[in-house]
Amino acid sequence: MNALEPLVDEAREHLLARAKREGLVRVGYGIMDSPLGPLWIAVGPRGVVNIHYGVTPDPRELARITRAYGPGVLPDRRSCDRVLTELDQYFAGRRKRFDVEVDLAPLTPFQQRILMATARVPYGELTTYKVVARQAGNEQASRAAGAALGANPIPIVVPCHRIVAADGTLGGYAGGLPAKRRLLALERGKAEVPAGGWERSRR
Amino acid sequence: MTFGELLERHEREIFAYVLRLTGSRADADDLYQETFLAAFRAWPPPRAGNERAWLYKIATNKAIDQVRRTRRLVPLADLRLAAPERDGVTLSDLATAVRTLPTGQRAAFVLRKVEGRSYAEVANALGCSEVAARSRVAEAMKKVKEAVR
Repeated sequence: MNALEPLVDEAREHLLARAKREGLVRVGYGIMDSPLGPLWIAVGPRGVVNIHYGVTPDPRELARITRAYGPGVLPDRRSCDRVLTELDQYFAGRRKRFDVEVDLAPLTPFQQRILMATARVPYGELTTYKVVARQAGNEQASRAAGAALGANPIPIVVPCHRIVAADGTLGGYAGGLPAKRRLLALERGKAEVPAGGWERSRR
Repeated sequence: MTFGELLERHEREIFAYVLRLTGSRADADDLYQETFLAAFRAWPPPRAGNERAWLYKIATNKAIDQVRRTRRLVPLADLRLAAPERDGVTLSDLATAVRTLPTGQRAAFVLRKVEGRSYAEVANALGCSEVAARSRVAEAMKKVKEAVR
């Protein structure tokens, strides 16, 4: 079957070009080999719709994408070129802010406000679930903020790893706490990241 | 299910099938595209869990349409990928034998003898009864055996 692979790849390229011409492709996806392991990345007509730790999409995320965009979700690395380049630069320490558009449209207004507030936390800085809840309009909702961030469909680009618990512990992370720790270490230069997190932020 | 999932799950198998049916890379490339585009245009699949049979059926119909439109010679290098050499029968012999089969018999032969599908699957892909599928395969076998003898 191996001799067939390049032929199938070529045929797929032709198919994708035709499907695009016919407007059948709404969301293109690709897989990136990142320092944190493989990332499954999907880009729709309005921007990045999903980044998932792993080689296959999260079924719930995929259901959300098809609810919003229909079944036209196809393997198409080219759609992901821009975000892949920006992620490469970010992991190499050469990018401190993402310029790609993100598409949060299918999420609830509260989830969107939480993620927008998160997106404003600068590179290398930390804030707490309570602070983003306040910025999203409800200071009491830090648990709900935690839940919204736990379900962040676009980690890294929407930097939920910069949000920690008020007691200075790391809180949670969809990609696992080692990934959160590595991202924070990357952003904070050579600073050691204590196993329990950081001391309480003043923000 | 998304179209990408359907594609990733079945594209290799469908490509191998249409390559065996046509024996030509260029035709296989066309048929693969036609098959998946037709599937996409007809979305959703008629029954969940039956996507594979659905794709085989579309591919077979597209192959029959293609043969009606044009009859091309098969490059031997392509057939090397499509059919294994065995029992002293050369690829060239086999290529000729398969190529000269009528389209329905050729599809039945490839599905049953090359792909190893059940007669129920062959019948489903060809849109005929199992009895008809059996007789097409038997006829095709007879012709291929005669041709490579």
